[in-house]
Formats: sequence, C-alpha cells, structure tokens
Amino acid sequence: MDRRYLLKNSLALGGLVGLGGCATPPQAPAAKAVSNIPIEDRVPHLAPIRAHTDRLFDIKVCIRPFRTKGPRLDVEQIGDAMVVHNYGHGGSGWSLSWGSANMAVQKAMSASPKQIAVIGCGIIGLTSALTAQRAGAQVTIYTRELLPRTRSVRANGSWTPDSRISLASEAPANFGATWEEMARMSWKTLRSYLGLPGNPVTFTDHYRLSDVSFGQPTPRDPAIPPLPPPSWTGLPEKSSDFGEYAERIADLTPKPQILTDDNNPFPVKYASRSTQMFFNFTEYGHLLMNDFYAAGGKIVMRDFHSPGELADLPEKMIINCPGFAARDWWKDKAMVPVRGQTGWLIPQPEVNYAMTYRNVQILSKSDGIMVIALEDGDMKGYNNSDESIRRAESERAVRVIEELFSRFPTNPA
Amino acid sequence: MRHTLILVLMACAAASGAQAGTWDGVYTDAQAERGGVQFQQHCGRCHGANLAGTFETPPLVGRFKPYWSGATMDVLFDYVATAMPLDHPGSLSRAANADILAFILKANGFPAGAKELSASSEDLKNIRFDAVRPPPEPAPNSKRKKGARPQ
Repeated sequence: MDRRYLLKNSLALGGLVGLGGCATPPQAPAAKAVSNIPIEDRVPHLAPIRAHTDRLFDIKVCIRPFRTKGPRLDVEQIGDAMVVHNYGHGGSGWSLSWGSANMAVQKAMSASPKQIAVIGCGIIGLTSALTAQRAGAQVTIYTRELLPRTRSVRANGSWTPDSRISLASEAPANFGATWEEMARMSWKTLRSYLGLPGNPVTFTDHYRLSDVSFGQPTPRDPAIPPLPPPSWTGLPEKSSDFGEYAERIADLTPKPQILTDDNNPFPVKYASRSTQMFFNFTEYGHLLMNDFYAAGGKIVMRDFHSPGELADLPEKMIINCPGFAARDWWKDKAMVPVRGQTGWLIPQPEVNYAMTYRNVQILSKSDGIMVIALEDGDMKGYNNSDESIRRAESERAVRVIEELFSRFPTNPA
Repeated sequence: MRHTLILVLMACAAASGAQAGTWDGVYTDAQAERGGVQFQQHCGRCHGANLAGTFETPPLVGRFKPYWSGATMDVLFDYVATAMPLDHPGSLSRAANADILAFILKANGFPAGAKELSASSEDLKNIRFDAVRPPPEPAPNSKRKKGARPQ
C-alpha cells in the first residue's frame, strides 16, 4: 500500500485535519485527482480518534432479546385483563420501537380503554407508553428499572432494523411485510426527533475501511478466541440463517459510495462511505421520559413474577414489553439471549463519524465513542447470557483503531 | 348447600393457603451459611459479595423485599432455579438453590428458625414472602364486637 500517496491526497483534500496540521503536504499531483471528485462528495475534515485503552471509561454488556420467530405481537387474555405483547426485537429494538408500538397500541385501543398499563421501561415500553398517550389513554408504566438501567441502554443504539430480528426459518411467512410496516412507521416517527437540541436522533457518515477488496471476507484476528461450539441443536449455523429484510426499505437510505484513492483520507487500501442514523441515549432517553411525564404518565416501580399477577392491576388493558425477561416470566422458549458488548472511549465532540475496520466498529456519540468487536457476525454471542464484562475484548478492539491512527506520519508507528 | 359452601371454602383455603411467612423462621443459620458459600461461588460475581448489585445487576437486598413481597416462595425458588445463574441458567441443584435462598433471606433480615428451607415446590408454596412483619394474629378469645373501635 502506498501510504504516502494516500496521505498526500487526503491532506490535499483537507482530510484528517488533526493529523494534517502537523504534516508537510506533499507536492502537486494531488490537484489533478481533486478535479475529478464532485465537491459535494469530497471527504470533509475528519478529526482523529484518541483510541487508547486507558481512555476506555465504560464497558457495557447487554443481552439482546432475540426471538427466533420474530417479535411477539399477539394478544392474550389473563383473567379479566387483555395483554398485548410487544417484545423480542433482538438487535432492532431502538430502530423498530415506534412502529412496533404503533401496532401494539392499535390493538389495545380497539377496546377503547381509558387507562393502559405498560410493563417495562426499555425503549419498547417507553415508546409504547408514549404512543398510547398520544392515542388518548392515561398510561402507567410498571417496571423494575427505568430506561437508563435497562438493557436497552446497553445496546448499540443505531438504525439497525433487521439486526437479529428473527431466524429466517422460524419467522411467520408474512413477517417480512410486518417488519417493513414497523420499520417505515419508525422511520417516519424518528424524523420528528431530528434536529433537536443535543441531537437525540441524528445521522453520521460511516466509513468502512478494508485491507482486502470489498466482497472479500475480513480476515479474523487469530488472537481472538474462537467461538465455542454451539450449545444448541439446529439453526442458526451461520449469519445468513437470520432473517434479512433490509432490501425492503432500501429506498430510505443513500447507497454506499466507494471512495477512490484520491478521496480516501485513511491509510488503508479500500474505503467506502455510507450514511447512518443513530440515537444519543442520554438526550433521547431524557426527552422520551420528559414527554411521558409531561403527558401525565405515571411510573410504578415493581417486579412481576408470574403472568397471573397482571390480572391484579387496576388497568385491564396491558401492553407487555418485558424484553429478555419474557424468557423466564412467560416461559417463552423462542427467546434466546444474544450477548453484546460495547466499549466507550471518552467523548470527543469533534469526532463526527463512524467507521468499521478489521471487524471493529466505532461510532462517535454524545456520551462517548462506542467501540464494538464484530468478528463472527450475527453468530457472535448467540445463546450466551453472560453479562459479565470482558475488558480484553474491548481493549483489543481499541488497539485496532489505535494502530490505524498510528500509521499517520505525525504519529509514526 | 351450606355444608357444600363450607367445604368449597376450606378447599380454597388449603389450595391457596400460605400458612407461614418469611418472618416465621423458615430456614436455619447453618443452611444460610452453606448458602453463603454457594452464593459467593455462583452469584456474587454479578450481584456483589454484599448482594448490593451494580448499576446493571439488580440488588438482592433493599428493594428486593418490596419487589418480591406477596409472592410465595415457590415462585421465587422457581425463578432462581430456572433463570439463574444468568450465564448458566438452571445449572444448580435444588438443594443448592434452597441454601442460596436461605442466605438471601438472612441477608434481608428475616429470622432463622429450627427447620431448613425446603427445596420442594409444594412446601415452598406454603411460605409467603412478606416484606414487612405482619401484625400478630389476634388471640382467639379477644374477638371484638363488630364495629367496636380498637383500644
């Protein structure tokens, strides 16, 4: 790889300014390359990421509430109460929440209840509660944790609407259409949260960097321990066994752009850029909670131990959003834990992009720069409910990015 | 007719009847001690050696009491036995789970007694988890007249 060539061009284009400020811009030929790139597609100034393991100030582990059949959305009678289920959104809860809430509330409101109970205060519960309020109901959330302490806030928090949302072989035949309706409704609702102070919902450029041409698998770091042998029988055996529906909404987001050598500011051979929506947990969470209280919502802190307890609630219409707890509470055998871990580097507001390189994803958010190890795709963490922190995993991921930035001459390796 | 009603009521009482509560000494100190060893081995990593939990992991003291109040012990036992330890759910023996529950009861200030906490769901169904010590039952001969104000 001709590192100097790439740097020369990135600097000439005003690429990584933080690095470029200390380097001597090489000579002329770059100008010719610039002329071929439309001004609107040039890579803007990008600040370098201070990727050092001692800047990892938090590590979060969650269990994605994966349900092999797709989210549970049916209605059940418990005593004299109607229960509308809304759980099992896998790695797509933040993305699908508004659409799924809309479906649940439509079912609930068909009985014209004045009061509705919502069980759970993760992102699915909170959006269900807000949607029910907007439909005219008085809402009480019964929950054992408020949003900041739920598993929702230990997630990635990006627009990933078909991330581990079903097993293709287990989902109902019409699930693709249901999913699309959910995703489109969410997308439209999320529009109303764009551009607000603190950017509760926002977009960023996502750079995908690679040492091998796109389409080739990224080599797996041999230092990473292999996945343990499956503790289950049957599917999934590979990432493609999970339901994939993104093509249905491909019209919503721009196509990825391949960055030509003269427009690639990174010291890697291959790069592309896409655009990604993501959620800033702190601002978005506060906004949703405040909206809920402002509309007269009440919260009762309590735990439930058996479905029959729901019949004792004063509300006779209940939207049930327990997330992964449904496995034990409702004995839902379709629920499978999928472990996920995110590392968090100290926030750098000047970093306004995401990147993926060597199976590590970086996303700069208001509350930190998120670092995730992605090797093994959707199989990673499947049927694993260990929520203990593996610091070595996050540190290894940080070092991948640290090494990337160390290649620049201002910070020689 | 009247006899039938009484029989039905008696049957209901027997079926639902929690005859003891967590304040009645439903475990022994020795059992809690055994449970403490098991707890530190299998539960303490997440819930903390002092049961206080973490930001992410629920505590097993404090709010644990109101959260479980009113349930019968078989429900708590079933939850612990099937959902825990989180990374290997259902991997502990029934006896070990009973011992761990005894340890948790002790840590929450419930008194020990002379009899160990059973690992049988049938037995546990008859023990109610009371967060607050219930008021003593009135003595049989201290029945007040209907409407009389307590002294």
